[in-house]
Amino acid sequence: MLKRRLIPKLLVCTVESGGGRRRQTLVTTRAFVPAKVVGSPVSQAKIYEAQLADELAILRIDPGPIAEDMQLLETIERLAAETFMPLTVGGGVVFVDDFHLLLSKGADKVAINSAAVRSPNLIGEAARRFGGQCVVVSIDVRAGLCGAEVCIDRGATRTGIDPVEWAREAADRGAGEILVCDIDRDGSGEGLNLQLGQQIARAVDVPIILSGGCGRAEHLVDGFVGGSADAVAAGTYFCLRDQNPLQARSHVANAGIPIRMGT
Amino acid sequence: MPTRPSVGIVDYDAGNLRSLQNALEAISAEVLLVRDPSKLDRCTHLVLPGVGAFAHCVKGLRESGMAESLTEWATVRHRPLLGICVGMQMLADAGEEHGESPGLGWIPGRVRRLPASPGARVPHVGWNGVHFGRSCSSLDADYYFDHSFRLCPADNSDAWGVTSHGESFCAAVRRDSIIGVQFHPEKSQEAGLRFLRWFLERPTESPC
Repeated sequence: MLKRRLIPKLLVCTVESGGGRRRQTLVTTRAFVPAKVVGSPVSQAKIYEAQLADELAILRIDPGPIAEDMQLLETIERLAAETFMPLTVGGGVVFVDDFHLLLSKGADKVAINSAAVRSPNLIGEAARRFGGQCVVVSIDVRAGLCGAEVCIDRGATRTGIDPVEWAREAADRGAGEILVCDIDRDGSGEGLNLQLGQQIARAVDVPIILSGGCGRAEHLVDGFVGGSADAVAAGTYFCLRDQNPLQARSHVANAGIPIRMGT
Repeated sequence: MPTRPSVGIVDYDAGNLRSLQNALEAISAEVLLVRDPSKLDRCTHLVLPGVGAFAHCVKGLRESGMAESLTEWATVRHRPLLGICVGMQMLADAGEEHGESPGLGWIPGRVRRLPASPGARVPHVGWNGVHFGRSCSSLDADYYFDHSFRLCPADNSDAWGVTSHGESFCAAVRRDSIIGVQFHPEKSQEAGLRFLRWFLERPTESPC
């Protein structure tokens, strides 16, 4: 039986580290605004692997195209060399060639967000060239005046698009997975948006990764049961809480949900 | 027989080989990227990777000019070869992704879409338990999958490992020295490295 997945999110950005040098750092965010610096993404990824994380999602939060971010590309290469687990990479993917670039650096799946909203043909082009299994459409959502709406540009631009409709279209166009994040809940620890997860899960056949708001192990269980999620992704929860994927896993297993317990 | 295995990864522009190379090097194998048949003599084992669409991969492999040498390697000389993901699917007679297209035909069977059903979303993404034949139960573990199509062998004796997603399906095939796995050992952490080590260390004629 297919196991449900726990996916630590590594939110990375480039910072000046003195002497004009630049390095990648891992941060947590609150409503998509960087909140705390955690440290090296590669060291943290190795810890997560030892703790049996099922996959990693590396999401770049700097502006601009990902293809020009040499520090990020180097980080992906190092992550692929030093861990043996699936890597989803996103944040500033613009062109179908960016998929090729990221896959060649060691990513297994590529997440697209703003570019997919602006040019939806990108989804189908990437799926035809690289297979739908590596195309993750990432949908960021904020509460609007008439229900939830899709936001792009790292949450800065509201689009008025209905997230459930957009998820359906993305899946029809060939997306292999939908990663949904509730911006208002991001970093809040209040719990996942279960209603949204359930609505999207009902609208599409592809797997759903639910994210934004995990604060306690119960929230993961809620995400799988009430939110119909195939996977739950969390940043702050795994980075800063005195909880790691291993402990979270045993909590989920004890709730009767199929999850990987060892290798 | 050299003490350190020399593993050739068949390189025909079918995506990222880095992860596979890293995983094989982590278990102390020497890795060669094989782009033309002349390098085959230096290899003790071959791995045939594959990512993306079936027809695209088969076309790439044929255009690389290596399909014939690989067929000789696997079906005439009976040397060890491991197909991974679409690399496993290509072992079949034919695939149905984006229209009918012929495969290598080493394992009789067809590649069909995995049907989605309530509780079984497609693509089949994530960790799933694989059960191998009784003599190979030491390899039973959760492995990482990411695919929408799977090989349905015509001959039951070629089905070597099974998993279940909505329905039971063949996750691993084996015929003589040819092995194919639908999952990604290079992405399956300890269990995957253990599998790759087994592939390199087992004597060809042993049941497991």
